[in-house]
Amino acid sequence: MNIKRSLTLAAVGMILAASVAADAAAQAKPEDLVKQRRAAMTLMAKYIGPVGAMVQGKIPYDAAIVARNSSFVDTLDKMPWDGFQPSTRDVKDTKAKPEIYGNADKFKSRWEHLQEEVGKLAAAAKGGDQNAVKAAFGGVGKACKACHDDFRRE
Amino acid sequence: MKTTGLVAVPSWDLPVRIFHWLLVALFGAQLYSGTTGGNAMPWHLYGGYAVLTLVLFRVIWGFVGGGRARFSDFVSSPANALRYSKRLFSRQSSHAVGHNPLGGWMVLASLALLAVQAATGLFANDDIATEGPLAALVSKEVSDRITSIHKLNLKLLLALVALHVAAVLYHRWAKKEDLIRAMFTGVKHVPEAVAAAAGATRHASYWLAAILFAAAAAVVSLIVNRPF
Repeated sequence: MNIKRSLTLAAVGMILAASVAADAAAQAKPEDLVKQRRAAMTLMAKYIGPVGAMVQGKIPYDAAIVARNSSFVDTLDKMPWDGFQPSTRDVKDTKAKPEIYGNADKFKSRWEHLQEEVGKLAAAAKGGDQNAVKAAFGGVGKACKACHDDFRRE
Repeated sequence: MKTTGLVAVPSWDLPVRIFHWLLVALFGAQLYSGTTGGNAMPWHLYGGYAVLTLVLFRVIWGFVGGGRARFSDFVSSPANALRYSKRLFSRQSSHAVGHNPLGGWMVLASLALLAVQAATGLFANDDIATEGPLAALVSKEVSDRITSIHKLNLKLLLALVALHVAAVLYHRWAKKEDLIRAMFTGVKHVPEAVAAAAGATRHASYWLAAILFAAAAAVVSLIVNRPF
């Protein structure tokens, strides 16, 4: 077996593994996918909420909670997106617009942008500079809004 | 734009003019902060309180104000407005010392839509990090529905603003009536007969305006902070 052949095999293996992961989502029940992606979003809201209240001065600022919550969201923001399968298009209990499935690239760029902004927030929170946290939080809010404006029903 | 046969008459008193241009500035700021989101949102809320204060003040001033500020000066019957609208597109100018019959209804519509916009904002939420100061008083479902009204009503407001600006420009260029200038100077130039028919101009104290404005701000502050 030469090197070229084993590389090809490895590549085929990786592609198979990746498509198995994607297929798992594609084959799940649409109702479950909606439930799961909403659960991930709900948890993001749970942990980002207090950070927002703190940077807006509504509750006392606690750097430890800001750092912990931001790092939680930095993981949670990886989770909802493979739940947006075309099979969920007709599920009733969602505000997701069907446009998502015709504009997959745009949708992806939106959530990649969110992940970028949340990454900045988590880094700023670890650094502990309150002004940097506040600025980064504004970026996260804008990233949420950009996607909601395009892809979420009223 | 001095034309022969026209006389200068006081039209918009100082409080009305300040109200108008503050509202213009706030409207732009609100549009910007609301569509930008992020850290502009706390400012969007403050701007909304200011709009609510202005609208409240203007409604009170519509009963006790000076110049041609009172509703009784410019609100005429729908039939009258309809009759007026028939000659709107004639080049013949149609001077009024205050609002013309259609313009009067435009003012009422603007105030109503602005009140709806500010009031719905109090109960709205953006599902991100911002909610109006009264959103906690209602369920999330109700707040969501009110948020939809806030967004829908914005479209009506934008349409009304476009119509307002178009109408003012139309009067400026087609009918040779400079309403923009009048909103700065407070003075209109109208034919003598129109001025005579309109009667004497009222004056209302600027101190009264300041006190009423402060009272409006106090009421809004009570609504927003809910101290009780």
